[in-house]
Amino acid sequence: MSSDSFTHPEMSGDEVSARLADAGFCIGPAVNVRRTVLDTFDGRLSAAGLRLELREEDSGELLLSERRSPADQLAVTAVSPVDADPDRSPFRARLAPVIGVRALIPLMTVTARRTVAVRRDGAGKIRVAVAVQDRVLLGGSQPASLGWGVEVEALQGYAKDADQARALLASLGLTSHGSTLLDLVAEGAGVDLRGYEGSPTVPLEADEPARDGFRRVLVRLADIFDANWEGTVNDVDPEFLHDLRVAVRRTRSVLAQGRHVVASGDRDRFRHGFAWLGEQTGPARDLDVYVTEWDRYVAPLGSNAAALLAPLRSHIVSLRQDEHERLARALHSEPCRDLRTAWCSWLRAGGDGTGTGTMPRDAGRPLGEVVVERMVAAQDQVLARGRGIGPRSPAEDLHELRKDAKKLRYLLECFASLLAGGPRKAFVQHLKALQDNLGEHQDTEVHASRLREMSKDLYRRPETTADTMLAMGQLSEQLDRRRQAARDEFSERFAAYDTKRTRRAFADLLSSAGLSSAGLSSPGDGSAGGR
Amino acid sequence: MKTLATYSIKGGVGKTTSAVNLACEAARTGARVLVWDLDPQGAATYFFRIKPRVKGGTQRLVRGKSDLAGHIRATDVAGVHLVPADFSLRHLDLHLDGTKRPTERLASLLAAVADRYEVAILDCPPSISLASESVFGAADALLVPVIPTTLSSRTLSQLDRFLRDQRDPPAVLPFFSMVDRRKRMHRDLADSLAGQFPAFLDTVIPNAAAIERMGPERAPITAFAPKTPAAQAFRELWAEVAGRLFP
Repeated sequence: MSSDSFTHPEMSGDEVSARLADAGFCIGPAVNVRRTVLDTFDGRLSAAGLRLELREEDSGELLLSERRSPADQLAVTAVSPVDADPDRSPFRARLAPVIGVRALIPLMTVTARRTVAVRRDGAGKIRVAVAVQDRVLLGGSQPASLGWGVEVEALQGYAKDADQARALLASLGLTSHGSTLLDLVAEGAGVDLRGYEGSPTVPLEADEPARDGFRRVLVRLADIFDANWEGTVNDVDPEFLHDLRVAVRRTRSVLAQGRHVVASGDRDRFRHGFAWLGEQTGPARDLDVYVTEWDRYVAPLGSNAAALLAPLRSHIVSLRQDEHERLARALHSEPCRDLRTAWCSWLRAGGDGTGTGTMPRDAGRPLGEVVVERMVAAQDQVLARGRGIGPRSPAEDLHELRKDAKKLRYLLECFASLLAGGPRKAFVQHLKALQDNLGEHQDTEVHASRLREMSKDLYRRPETTADTMLAMGQLSEQLDRRRQAARDEFSERFAAYDTKRTRRAFADLLSSAGLSSAGLSSPGDGSAGGR
Repeated sequence: MKTLATYSIKGGVGKTTSAVNLACEAARTGARVLVWDLDPQGAATYFFRIKPRVKGGTQRLVRGKSDLAGHIRATDVAGVHLVPADFSLRHLDLHLDGTKRPTERLASLLAAVADRYEVAILDCPPSISLASESVFGAADALLVPVIPTTLSSRTLSQLDRFLRDQRDPPAVLPFFSMVDRRKRMHRDLADSLAGQFPAFLDTVIPNAAAIERMGPERAPITAFAPKTPAAQAFRELWAEVAGRLFP
């Protein structure tokens, strides 16, 4: 079923209904309807060309509709109020591949009085429906830019009838808008139904002063932090915390890279503040990953494992709940409030709070030049540390390398607009392959260690059975095997990264953006490790 | 997409009423549902008030000369679409026989629309033939209505034996249909059959006047008698089936 909307500058919705009745349409009762557009915070449905609408009518009926692109394929499903929970199967199964772990949240609500006119054939089958909607209000109270509109709802297999209905409306002088009533209302109200765009990228110029560029990146990161704050505090879905945490890490990283760009006093103060904030988010995030990765962890242990490990899962879920509550308190705490206030003031003041009047050494240098220096240094650090890791190196070394790789990745992401898209993506592919390996090693290490702690807690509980303890042992071994596999694979992954090909990709990245690392020394420039 | 088939070797056991009402229940819980009326009698098509005609006939469709998507019609129930019956379906065995892999043919036709629906329900004619084997090849599960009578239970045993010899057969989900609890034979046979076939679903569809009214009303039971015990039974039956399909 597709739908496009029509309006008329002078006619009213009631007049259109009367004309449709004259043309042989059967007019249904006027029903008050509340239509809510649902999507994930980051608009995953919209990005996939889908539109999910919760329609509540005063008859008690709810409808969930889905629009695929192109707009001529719309499936509308009537759902009873009791079954309207989108988490229920098979609805969840239908959306899960698109929304993943994200929750559906309301983006816009519109109320209207809705009258449906239908044309039936001789057997009584509906061939086309025309919905006249008037008294349109945004959020139930605020007048919408569009007071009323008519939507033709074409049914699969009855395209001609829909065309005839559109022709009829056109003959009455109504104008087609080519989009749905909800789209028109959203546009008029300035509501973006595409969801929040969480990319850290901001427009930057290579020749602008470094201080201005760094500040704009930091402002953007602060915006992402703010956007995800409420969803994290309310634990709406795990991605809010993930994105907030990444915004904090990127902020710390950009501040760290802002040596001689940002005044050292400010830099140290805020780096310290954001390090504290990052620490607050760590335990809750680790447990989020434990929960979201659970099925992948347990699946190799056989079909009985999930049932035997149910007490452990409940324990993790409970710990996760505790950690999220603790995190919410930390985010509401005075130190956090002070940090946010000071940070906001500092950014508003133009990122210059030295009070000394002394400009840091690199603050006035061209941004592109400074960023290239930092990227080259970060890449050198990754190569140098990676080359120093051997089969007997401790896990901490891999963890440090992981942090180095992240610093480089954050630079590539936060200053992306200075770099050409194609070469950037090509280089990120090389880096990501290394990061995936290091991430797997780190996650399994952390989770295996956490599992040992939790085993001690559960062992002391009388309701924990021997079978559950045995299954936990198997899970621990499974995590260890995966950690070891990642560790064994590291040398191969790093060797694949430490190649002429990767270094050429890095050089291409810089030169394609008109930036050059000429004159900068790099261990990658030599022949060591090259293939 | 999960594919179900309402199937029984025996006729008059409630296949079509089950297909139609389960489709509506599935849609009510958020699934997009495609019903394919494979019975030349076209009863499901009749209930949905749709003209029983496949343009170009079944032969063109089965031989891949027309797309299944082109024959799909929206019903008046939101979320439920239908491929109508056509009288040429009486030759479905012959048409399938002329294709390369007849037992995989229905599955491959359905694969073309699999991304548009969560559930497909094939409403099958009563028989066991090449067309049935093609249904078995396409279906994840066979929903088998069983009236607690000797003949009906006998056909369930026949089906069970037949599928035992098949490679990768669909799951068989029998359920009691048209049950009159006042009849002692129904009660006794229902008890003994449930013991004999552990896969029997718990829900029992009663022999109800409301279901018979679907004919004159030309509509699923939820459209005109949503609060009757029979409508409630179909709601419960779908919940049970969905629990198996979407664990």
